[in-house]
Amino acid sequence: MEPQHLIACHDCDALFQFDELAEGERIVCPHCDARLLTNRPHSTQRAAAFAIGAACLLAVANFFPFISLEASGQTNVISLVQSVTALKTNGSPWLAVSVAFFILIAPALMILGSLYLLLPVMSGKRPPGADWVCRAMYGANQWNMVEVFVIGVLVSLLKLTKLATVVLGISFWAFLALMLCLTASFASIDKHELWDLLERNHES
Amino acid sequence: MTPYSEHSAAARGLAACHICGKVQDHTAGHCRRCHSRLHLRTPQSLQRTLALTLAAAVLYIPANTLPIMVVQGIGGDESSTILSGVVTFWQMHAYPVAIIIFTASVVIPILKLIAIISLCIAAVRPTNPRRAMKVYRFTEIVGRWSMVDVFVVAILVAVVQFGSLMAIRPGPAAVAFAGVVVLTMIAAMSFDPRLIWDKAHQHSLKTQNHV
Repeated sequence: MEPQHLIACHDCDALFQFDELAEGERIVCPHCDARLLTNRPHSTQRAAAFAIGAACLLAVANFFPFISLEASGQTNVISLVQSVTALKTNGSPWLAVSVAFFILIAPALMILGSLYLLLPVMSGKRPPGADWVCRAMYGANQWNMVEVFVIGVLVSLLKLTKLATVVLGISFWAFLALMLCLTASFASIDKHELWDLLERNHES
Repeated sequence: MTPYSEHSAAARGLAACHICGKVQDHTAGHCRRCHSRLHLRTPQSLQRTLALTLAAAVLYIPANTLPIMVVQGIGGDESSTILSGVVTFWQMHAYPVAIIIFTASVVIPILKLIAIISLCIAAVRPTNPRRAMKVYRFTEIVGRWSMVDVFVVAILVAVVQFGSLMAIRPGPAAVAFAGVVVLTMIAAMSFDPRLIWDKAHQHSLKTQNHV
């Protein structure tokens, strides 16, 4: 029995063997309907392309104004980072640290991690420390809240419109596009497939 | 008879790595692909999940009773709680927003606490495991969406700074609420859904023996 072709369901522990998956094929657990493995077409290329896009957008999101607010002759322009640092200067350092992690550090780790792994993997190589990076990347993915933050921005717009004129900056639109690219990048490659690729490149 | 179903990897002494999913002999101790620890089932899964859920339930009280933000203006300070924010939107006739915030900040956290506790019960008393899996997947997906209110506070605090005219500061409930979301997320991650299937299997063995 080829151990590579053995899989146990992460939700119900059902064990079964499978043959090499054809492109577009996927395995669903017969006992609990959990999606176990999908072989998506051009998975590494797609994931890497979206990760590069996300990296550019993250840079744009950090260098342009995020929101500006105009009230009684005064205009406040804030950047994405200021939405985090303002929490610290207004007496909530713990909140600042956690928000920074959910909307900036976790997505940055995901993007850097996927580029670090995927670019060498595409040319059949395995970068040093791949185990550790892959683990950290999927760990960060669990705490990434980019899409929740976008909803938060929209809700606060509604709270602010009664007070003042609000203008969404370039950074906001970049952040919105970042959300789409990051989701697309992680949806392009299966976690098990990436681990299998890393393992295969280790042997060769 | 093993405590594990005959379909399961554990019944053959095989464990899927928690990190990379590789199926291998669990007695090796460490995964040969990613070097993380191997276990047939997550150790102390129920104790951890229950402890974290209990802590989240306790934090949920200050999160709802204390102010989530304080608006400082010429007319004095005005603090608002999560619920008063919902009421304000409702009075503004912004019904969809009021419903979104009420769902994300009040309904989902409570539903999530109930869901996690019911999963822990399902791991001790046998139930229909397929139905329990639906609850489990709900807790996994829904977890982080409750953070919306905390992000709203972050943005308002950053943007509304007009000196003595008007300024918004975060209230203690914002930290407490973020704590509730983080704790329930860790609780859901610590829960091992395979325990529910083990329990259902052990129960079916027992009923077979009686017949």
